[in-house]
Order: sequence, then C-alpha cells, then structure tokens
Amino acid sequence: MDIRAAKDRSLLYSNIRSFFTDRGYLELETPTLSPDLIPEATIDDFASLFSNEFSVTHEMYMIPSPEIFIKKFLAENPVSVFEISKCFRNCEQLGRTHNPEFTMLEYYTIGFDEKDSIALTEEMIRKTALENCPESVLRPFEILTVREAVLKYTGLDLDSLQNPRDLRAAAEKLGLPVPGPEPWDDTFNRIFINFVETALPTDHPVCLTDYPKQIECLAKVQGNYRRRWELYINGLEVANCYFEEDDEDIARDYYRREYQKLLSLRSNNGKTIPDVDESFCDIFANFPRCSGVAIGLDRLLMTETGASDIDSVLLFPFSRMLGL
Amino acid sequence: MIKAGQIDKGTALLIKGAPFICVEREFVNPGKGSAFVRLKLKSPTTGQVLQETIKSQDSVEDINVEQMDYQYMYNDGENFHMMNVDTYDQFEVPMANFEGYELLMKDGETYRCTVYNDEILDIQIPSKVVYLVAEAEEAIKGDTVQGATKFVTTETGLRVRVPIFIKQGEKIRVNTETKEYLERVNS
Repeated sequence: MDIRAAKDRSLLYSNIRSFFTDRGYLELETPTLSPDLIPEATIDDFASLFSNEFSVTHEMYMIPSPEIFIKKFLAENPVSVFEISKCFRNCEQLGRTHNPEFTMLEYYTIGFDEKDSIALTEEMIRKTALENCPESVLRPFEILTVREAVLKYTGLDLDSLQNPRDLRAAAEKLGLPVPGPEPWDDTFNRIFINFVETALPTDHPVCLTDYPKQIECLAKVQGNYRRRWELYINGLEVANCYFEEDDEDIARDYYRREYQKLLSLRSNNGKTIPDVDESFCDIFANFPRCSGVAIGLDRLLMTETGASDIDSVLLFPFSRMLGL
Repeated sequence: MIKAGQIDKGTALLIKGAPFICVEREFVNPGKGSAFVRLKLKSPTTGQVLQETIKSQDSVEDINVEQMDYQYMYNDGENFHMMNVDTYDQFEVPMANFEGYELLMKDGETYRCTVYNDEILDIQIPSKVVYLVAEAEEAIKGDTVQGATKFVTTETGLRVRVPIFIKQGEKIRVNTETKEYLERVNS
C-alpha cells in the first residue's frame, strides 16, 4: 500500500476536474447500480439483489461503464459533461492491466465528432499530467487508421479481407492457427493482438482510428469502418472514443443482436445474464450530435508513474484481497 | 483437451504433434472482444521457444504427463544416463536438450522428472542446491578490483563466484537459475 499512489491519484483527479470545469463541462455523478445494462457480449457482469420483504425483489447490476446513465442524461440535457466513475467488469482473468473494479473518466462533448475528440484528449492529458510524467506520455499522438496499422505491421489489407473465410486464411498464412469458423472480429483480434498491438511504438502515444465495423458498438459506421479510435500509451490501450451512434433503428438493431450473442455465450456457464431494456434506444429519437471518450484512469496513472502492474496504482487490488 | 485459459506454468501441451511446456502465461484482453492468453512455450526435446497469443476459449491438447523420480547416474558427453527409482529402468536423455545441466546435477542424486510417452521432457532441478567446493582458487592478496570474492569449482564442475573465505571441502548453497552463491552451509 503506497501512499504515493494515493497522492498521485488524488492530484490527477483534481487536475482533471479543473480541466473540464474550466472549459464549461458539467460534472455528473450517476448510479453504480442499474436494473438493466447496455448489452455487451464479452463483458461479464456483477449482479446484486435489491430486496425488500414487502415488495418484489429486483436484480441489479454493477455498471461496466457510466455510458448508460450519461446518455439518458444527454438526451434530455444536451450539454457537455464528464464523470469520474467506478466501473465493474467481472472476469476470471486477472492480469497486469485489469482489476475487476476500476475507474473510468468519461467525457462527452456536444457538437464534436471523434476527430475533434483527439485534440481535446491530447490537450487534456498534457495539461493534467503528474509532475514526473515520462515524455513518452506527453508527445503528440501518432494518428493512423487501423487499416493502415494492419497494412504496416502485417502487409494485409483489411478492405480486401471482408469475408471471414478470407481473413481466416490470411491469419493462418501469418502462422496463427484458427481452430474453426469464427466471427470476423475474433479472427481480426487474433491478428491485431499478435502483430499490431505488440508492434506499436512506445516512445509516443498512438491513436488508432476507424476500427472495423464488424466490432459491434454504438459508434457510427462509415464504409467498412466505424467512427471510433483507441489510444495506446506505452503499448497499453488507455482510451476509447466514439462518434456516438444517434440513429434509433441502428441502436435497436445493435441491442437485439448483441443480446443474442450474450445469451449464446452465457446460457450454459452460469455467468450473470443481465436484463436489458430496449426502450433505452428511445433516447436516440432526440439525441445530440456528440463524441464520447472513456479513459481508464488506473491505466493512465500506470503510464504516468511508470508502473508496469495495475496493482501498483491500487491501494487494495483484487489480486491481493483474494490472495491470487 | 483443455481451454487455453486453463493453461498455467508447467502445463504440458501438444503443438503440431510435439510436446511443449508452458513457461510463462499472461492474460490479454482486446478493448472489445473475447479474452486472449499470451503463452510462452518451450520444447523440452528441441529447446525451441514459441510465443502464442490465442483465445482463452480455444481448445488445446494437453498431454498427460507423469512426474517420476529418476536418479542421475552419469553422462557420456552425449547423453545423461538416468534410472527410474521405482522400476530401475534406465533412460538416456540427450544432453543437448538440457544445456548446462551437467554442471548442476550431482552423481547419484534423485531428480523429479516430467515424463511423456516414455520420454523425459523435463528435469526439475531445485532452485537452491548445496554443492561441495571441489576446487578453490587462491585469493590474490591485495586484489581489491574484484572485491572480496574469488571463483570456486563445485563437485559438478560449476564455477561460482564466492566470498574469499570459502575453502575447498566446504559446502555452499547456490541459486541454480542464476548460478549465484547464496550462503555457506555448515555441515
């Protein structure tokens, strides 16, 4: 338990709050328990029970992201907002860069698209950085599309590999065994994790833009890709940004398909199956044009303090509490 | 068959028909998508090292290995001659597969081995072992360049840097991974 970790975190949060409130963003505080979640098939959930002996028991879920509440707020109050929120993702795999309870900074800027969010994020990181933050964190972002990165590090052109069978053949040619037919995005992740993520430079931040549309999420689609970027610092994925989807029909379609995927993955293994409420998509009837960024603050702290393990920036990491 | 997510250090797998042992394992998750595990695998027969990052849900063929005790008898320059302490069966294990082990294994000592298909895949040398100092060089008086240390040779031929007070015939505890002197042992 390092008091320095506590001091660094407190200072970073204070700097972040000043940065956003000085620019007119409203700070929100939204619940950590919700009766339903936005479906995400590969994020596992913590469940709890709201029980009262005189009324019906409700299963409640710890939020994996404040997105669900922030978006409901934005539909009625289209103002730029930010929130520093605890998030919860249940998982059996603990590693150097994951703790099931972690802290996310999310900020949504009205009128922005994801490209506008890049400059804002660069400025925010630079202006809020801790005193001994390494240069590698503060340098200007190298910006390239996922397609360009894949081409650079594997020679493959994603545009010509939109068929899952073709992508699988390409993966196997790179020496990656693919055990059987699988969704396009799974094969893409095999290639991406083995060849691209590990090759990214670590002496400056890298902003990978335009992720393949096959990776489903609530970011607008354009051609074969989505208006989305992720930020890598020291080879670690630290932030995710969308040009937020605001079409009601597309959002509903996502809800249904993603929930089916979730059910098929979890029906037989005892994992929590959260309730989802499709009426959430009603908010898109009147949703402001905006771009949202989510930054893992524990990971940002890791990069700014030179920590190689998330446990170093946490006072009470899961692994220590559970003796793992 | 097991899922890749179940693999731990020491798990033995079959990759393209050849046995490999997992020496390192790290969990890796993409921002959105299925969980992955990064594995470092070593072939005990060829020494080849593989790095693979695969989906935690991928099935991999684990092999049933047995842990058995073998006594190290001697080496002939090409093979270690080992004897199973229960069955008295004798096995030859190519020295090339276990480079440097001839400097760590003591004649007549018993070692826990990982066995698959009648083949010794791995010889487990304890991380700290006590050796007899067979030869100790003279410390050169006034030689302060190296500090107060000198080299000795153990009964197995291993050269270790030790404090100058260590004499021939004494026993020392050595870290077999780093080959570093740990402490003198009083018999």
